[in-house]
Amino acid sequence: MDTALIPKGVKRCPLPQFLAGLGAAHVVLLWGVFAMLLCWLKGLNQTNMNNAYGFAMWIWADRAVIALGGGAFFTGFLRYIVGKDKLKYIINYAVLIGFICYSSALLILAIDIGQPLRGWFIFWHANVHSMLTEVAFCLTAYFFVLCVEYLPLVLENRQIDKVPFFHNLTHNMHEIMAVFAATGAFLSFFHQGSLGGVAGVLFGRPFGFREHILIWPFTFFLFTWSAAACGPCFTILITKITEAIARKKLVKDDVIELLAKISGWMMLTYIIAKTIDTIYWAVVTAPSKGLALSHFYTNNALYGYWILILEVVICGWVPALILITDKGRKNQFTLWLAVILAVIGVSLNRWVMVLQVLAVPVMPFIKWVLYFPSWQEVATTILPVAYGVILIMISYRYLPIFPQEAELNPLEPPALPEDEPEAGEEAAQEAEVQEDQKTGEGDLQPAEA
Amino acid sequence: MKIDRRSFLSFTIGGAAGTALSPLPWKLTDDMAIWTQMWPWTPVPEKGEVTYVKSACTLCPGGCGISVRKVDDRIVKIEGLKGHPVNDGSLCILGLAGAQLLYGPRRVKAPMKKINGKFREVSWEQALDEISKTLADLRSKGEPHTVACIADSDRGTVPELLNRFLRVYGSRNFIRTPSIQDSYELTLNLMQGVRAMAGFDVNNADYVLSFGSGILDGWGSPVHMFKAHSLWREHGGKLIQIEPRLSSTAAKSDSWIPINPGTEGTLALGIAHVMIKESLYDNDFIDNYSTGFHEWKRHIIDGYNPEIVGKVTGVAPSTIVGLASSFARARKPLAVCGRGKGLTPGSLKEFMAVHTLNAMVGNIGKEGGIWAVPEPEYIEWPELEMDQTASIGTQQHRADGAGSSLYPQARYLLNRLPETMNASSTYKLIQVLFVAGANPVYSMPGSADIKEAFEKIPLVVSFSSYMDETAQMADLILPNHTFLERYEDVPAAAGYNRPVINLARPVVEPRFNTMHTGDVIIRLARALGGTIAKALPWESYEACLEEMMGDRWDTLVEEGYWTNTDFAAPQWSEAFETASGKFEFVNKEISSLARYSPVKPEGDEAAYPLILIPFDTMRLWNGYIGDPQFVIKSVPDTVLKKNDVLVEVNPATAKSIGLRDGAYAVLSTPKGKARVKVHFYEGVMPGLVALPRGLGHSAYENNLAGKGINFNELVGPFDDAATGHDAAWGIRAKLAKA
Amino acid sequence: MKHEKAKKFGMVIDLDKCTGCGSCMVACMAENNVPFREDETDKLLSVAWMRVYKLTNGKPFPDADICYLPRPCQHCEGHHGHSPCVSVCPATATDYDTRTGIVSQIYARCFGCRYCMAACPYHVRLFNWYDPVWPDGMEQSLNPDVSVRMRGVVEKCSFCIQRYQMAKDRAYMEGREDIEEEDYQTACTQACPADAITFGDLNNPHHKVHQLARPDHRNGGKPRAKNLFRLLERLGTNPKVYYKSSREWVRNLGDNHDAIQEKA
Ligand SMILES: Nc1nc2c(c(=O)[nH]1)N[C@H]1C(S)=C(S)[C@@H](COP(=O)(O)OP(=O)(O)OC[C@H]3O[C@@H](n4cnc5c(=O)[nH]c(N)nc54)[C@H](O)[C@@H]3O)O[C@H]1N2
Ligand SMILES: Nc1nc2c(c(=O)[nH]1)N[C@H]1C(S)=C(S)[C@@H](COP(=O)(O)OP(=O)(O)OC[C@H]3O[C@@H](n4cnc5c(=O)[nH]c(N)nc54)[C@H](O)[C@@H]3O)O[C@H]1N2
Ligand code: SF4
Ligand code: SF4
Ligand code: SF4
Ligand code: SF4
Ligand code: SF4
Repeated sequence: MDTALIPKGVKRCPLPQFLAGLGAAHVVLLWGVFAMLLCWLKGLNQTNMNNAYGFAMWIWADRAVIALGGGAFFTGFLRYIVGKDKLKYIINYAVLIGFICYSSALLILAIDIGQPLRGWFIFWHANVHSMLTEVAFCLTAYFFVLCVEYLPLVLENRQIDKVPFFHNLTHNMHEIMAVFAATGAFLSFFHQGSLGGVAGVLFGRPFGFREHILIWPFTFFLFTWSAAACGPCFTILITKITEAIARKKLVKDDVIELLAKISGWMMLTYIIAKTIDTIYWAVVTAPSKGLALSHFYTNNALYGYWILILEVVICGWVPALILITDKGRKNQFTLWLAVILAVIGVSLNRWVMVLQVLAVPVMPFIKWVLYFPSWQEVATTILPVAYGVILIMISYRYLPIFPQEAELNPLEPPALPEDEPEAGEEAAQEAEVQEDQKTGEGDLQPAEA
Repeated sequence: MKIDRRSFLSFTIGGAAGTALSPLPWKLTDDMAIWTQMWPWTPVPEKGEVTYVKSACTLCPGGCGISVRKVDDRIVKIEGLKGHPVNDGSLCILGLAGAQLLYGPRRVKAPMKKINGKFREVSWEQALDEISKTLADLRSKGEPHTVACIADSDRGTVPELLNRFLRVYGSRNFIRTPSIQDSYELTLNLMQGVRAMAGFDVNNADYVLSFGSGILDGWGSPVHMFKAHSLWREHGGKLIQIEPRLSSTAAKSDSWIPINPGTEGTLALGIAHVMIKESLYDNDFIDNYSTGFHEWKRHIIDGYNPEIVGKVTGVAPSTIVGLASSFARARKPLAVCGRGKGLTPGSLKEFMAVHTLNAMVGNIGKEGGIWAVPEPEYIEWPELEMDQTASIGTQQHRADGAGSSLYPQARYLLNRLPETMNASSTYKLIQVLFVAGANPVYSMPGSADIKEAFEKIPLVVSFSSYMDETAQMADLILPNHTFLERYEDVPAAAGYNRPVINLARPVVEPRFNTMHTGDVIIRLARALGGTIAKALPWESYEACLEEMMGDRWDTLVEEGYWTNTDFAAPQWSEAFETASGKFEFVNKEISSLARYSPVKPEGDEAAYPLILIPFDTMRLWNGYIGDPQFVIKSVPDTVLKKNDVLVEVNPATAKSIGLRDGAYAVLSTPKGKARVKVHFYEGVMPGLVALPRGLGHSAYENNLAGKGINFNELVGPFDDAATGHDAAWGIRAKLAKA
Repeated sequence: MKHEKAKKFGMVIDLDKCTGCGSCMVACMAENNVPFREDETDKLLSVAWMRVYKLTNGKPFPDADICYLPRPCQHCEGHHGHSPCVSVCPATATDYDTRTGIVSQIYARCFGCRYCMAACPYHVRLFNWYDPVWPDGMEQSLNPDVSVRMRGVVEKCSFCIQRYQMAKDRAYMEGREDIEEEDYQTACTQACPADAITFGDLNNPHHKVHQLARPDHRNGGKPRAKNLFRLLERLGTNPKVYYKSSREWVRNLGDNHDAIQEKA
């Protein structure tokens, strides 16, 4: 029924199945929306945050999601600024994932603030000294950049593209996309950094506090670096997952490997810096505040040394070392392992830099405070996941996201209707072919063409 | 009509641009900032003229002067009255929250009558009519002595009016709620021959030996004690706290001496023993102004050497010797007793033991010592003219047995009333009970017995301004104005060593349909007529008060208080009104009392291996007033968590029972059982369980009602052999895993 | 108008005197329209600008000891007015006033991001998780000099700034150039029955608070007086609340020492 909207040269599952999947995602989405409305109407008492945990799961989700969305700016940077042309085959998806991540982050922020109707104060009454101000401005600006980057993709939908105005618009936008990519990269360097600065400037919180380089705390650079390193891993991971679900190859291995290789070297340099940072903090910064390393990792039920080892060694050094080797990248198992570890690592880093900062007692006569999110917090955090799934499903179905898809998956002749009962349901769907598909159009141009 | 793409697009873009440029979004944005500040349910206090009114706090016997900040007709803040001799500008946590009692939901807004178990509003006429009819009825039946009144004080015009009304009506049953005042009064009476209140010149004392008194937990006049403690800190004064638990007082003391609970009197006598042995006493006082010392001395020398006392009290003999020496050698030593806030009268002999320490160092009536403060003398009413009924009625025994052959010394024995009443199911000991400014159903030990006794009384009349536990059990509530809406004299501050009278005044108009208890009494008297009406002839309470105050009235209105700055304790040669004219260590009456021995806690040791003791804190009030919202809010979560009270247990004790910190446990005593949580506290002696007093209300707002448990439900009174006063300081208990 | 010297309001709290009675907490609540809920036993959700901590020396019976430590906002100066909380607020809803040294909180400006709470190591900043509700009639005792805070904003001790404003107004009306020490006293100071709190201008040598603390302004305001200390001195928050205690274990609990070998 919706075949007219589906890109040429590719096949998609039947509409009912698509709608069923979409419906399932919407149920989750609605659950999240319900929780969100509760938070807006009844206030943040719906969460398990408290006066010790002013920041909690949401802020973690924000930081994590922005770090993971870092694949967009960094891939864009590599593609347009550095000139890694090959990455044009994955840039669309990176942009889409980035778009989802950043719009989710903004949504979560809108739920997280106590006075959502005053959210705009952050722009209107901006305090230039605040890392959050920097975050808010760059994040919002970059979100617009992502919109601009995503828009041509939408306009390339088969039907929209038929409108000459949009066709031309798309074309013109592609011409200037490098400018946006450059702007986006610039903005991202800053807001990723500012997010790192959020904890790094807290000189009252020795767990988060880092010494300054220029005017920025060391975490400023670490956050940008780690987002640049791990963001692409997330792009790869999501691509891999999409491929697994779609049961077909969407991006050629050499593209993935190139991104993985760059990512690997980024991670290696990042983790070296992170290791130096951690040692310096443990040996110089924290003791200058009277605190030994053990203070941060003992006397509580959750935060032990294991978390440090997991983040830095297992989810830092290990994936970095895998991804810098040719073998590691080529082997599907190690590639999967590396990107998963990298994603866990950066998320864990964001967790400790938000929650452990607050959990550690600073005054000697108080105790650790641990926290467990309320269902409302969980639901609102899963909401963006559902939203992301929905957006990916729709985009994948109707937009030419993967320029290499048609080439990698040449269409077979239409199956005979009689085959259907014999084949399994999914096999039958796989076999279904678009009516108006023409062999000659299999070689679809990349979106940026 | 045909809309092509182009026109649609221009329409949309143009429309969007137009809207953005119009004032609309900007106006909405601006409004948003305003909306978020003024949700209709966020109250907006109105500005107005600010005035300060001098008045008095009546919430505890502390006797503080207050300065009430008003904005137009609203009370917005209660502060301490600067220059007031008792509290000089400061205030305790309860006094500061006083406005919440005025405006809070616990108020009784009109006279209420209980009909079929539910309160219905009635008119004042109807209520007074009903009571006077019942009272007239009892008189005609010749049973005026079955009318009784419980009040929190027997001083000041309102208690005196109640007492006078009762007497001329024909009853002696005016009962004051118990406190250490009972024991101190008796001590001064027996040893010094005076009718006086004990006052302590704490400001000038430089070595205070406290036998469990919560000097910083609400004992005496709390604010005054706090200020004195700060003076000690500045001038090097010492505080020695003898107590089984590290209370706030103990924590602030210079030396905390843990002691087996209940043996404080023994320790006092042990200290006396050392002082005698080492001749560490004031020879002048002993030789010239006291009698019976040598007789008493023998008894002390025989029975209280440091080894024996050490065994009983758990205090090392060397410590006892050290205490005796430092106490006796201090320039201005002072020994005080009465546990915690001083709510339980305790053992008279224990008070006398501590008092002898004061006598031995000769600090009676001296700077930094213990003073006998005369009862206020301003209430001088003509001798009562009694009719026949009244004469007969007042010849009957008191319902509580005070002054009887069994307890000749006691003036009031509220603690004995439930037992007497519950002993017989038919005999109507009390048929009408008035309760003024007291909440005995909550505050008396043995809550179950008190409730049973109350249920037997055909007519309970409460004068409470608040719906407290006693009011809930009443048949009629005749709500008094709150202390911020009425005149009332507050004579004396507990434990303060000079006479002082504060004047509470109507800072605001009464908010509800309430009536001054003084006026209720006067109106009842008028309704009953005859000698009764003649005995209370005033137009109104206010007229009565002004008349009583005489010359002092103007000062009271102007300053908010009156004090006699010239007051000085009499010289030793004039101070004692005993038969010998001297301080009497021993005399006939004293000898007739049972000998001192430590009061044992009720219960069987095998079944109840632990001992439950209560503790008091400034943040929990357990007298007539229960914690208002701000005060209960200040209670830490190591005391109250949700609705669970936490009992303090030494970790060693808890672990031996297998209880973890924060675990639920069942606390049982011979009197009752309760579910509690365990709080590990190294400051409590092993073998003890400490429970805060002031929780477990069934009345008041949800901020307080249903939170924790009432210590009085787990303990019963234990009669002091000498006086009949309640001397219980704890009870045997068991703690088991829940 | 004559240029007057910048003031630096601060406190000295004598922990030897403080009895933990809680008057300061309630005085503050009454003065500053602090709301209350039916259950306030979860102290992590409870709003109390002044909080009295109970410190323990960690020793077993009978050597156990406790000490109360009242903790208002420390009105940190940081370095040159960069208090931990002020510099982080993205909406400029909190401010360090260099003329008074007071860290203000502007409720109508705050949008509830809670970054300042994360920044404050003293747990001073509290969030209004709930709508403030006064049972019918109780709103009558609200103080009109302090606005009632709405749900979703952060609040904290203001050193009773309204009292400073009123003192200045009064002085102006009476034709005085400056306010006197006793003109501006905070509600907690005034109420404390133990007179444990001393409040005044740390820059003014005539003020008692200066004499007690003897702050070394050239050395980040460190107290020169014996037995005085500030909380978490090493963080560089430069607080204006000083504590006094004759007990060493109490002074030791004022800062972290895990990683520092103290000189005997
Ligand atoms: N808690 C709380 N915060 C509020 C408000 C509130 O009601 N409660 N109200 C809000 C409102 S409406 C406003 S307008 C703002 C006002 O906020 P601000 O403008 O910050 O007001 P002030 O703190 O009164 O003054 C600002 C600074 O100016 C200094 N100053 C005084 N006179 C002079 C002068 O002649 N020259 C210079 N250069 N400096 C001077 C003061 O000492 C102070 O450091 O506050 C807002 N913040
Ligand atoms: N002494 C002194 N006086 C000053 C100033 C100063 O610095 N010092 N600053 C001046 C300045 S700049 C200003 S703006 C004014 C501010 O003076 P006001 O306008 O009086 O400011 P607030 O005290 O913030 O608010 C007054 C009351 O309004 C209530 N309120 C809040 N929202 C609403 C609403 O939507 N509707 C209604 N009806 N009431 C609401 C609040 O709860 C509060 O009780 O003060 C001026 N006066
Ligand atoms: S000590 Fe007693 S009299 Fe004084 S303010 Fe407190 S409650 Fe009122
Ligand atoms: S009012 Fe004074 S004594 Fe009471 S807790 Fe506060 S500072 Fe301590
Ligand atoms: S104590 Fe906390 S809230 Fe107060 S100024 Fe310092 S950092 Fe800010
Ligand atoms: S919560 Fe309010 S005061 Fe705190 S940082 Fe955010 S906007 Fe500023
Ligand atoms: S200074 Fe004022 S605002 Fe701060 S704690 Fe004291 S009373 Fe509260």
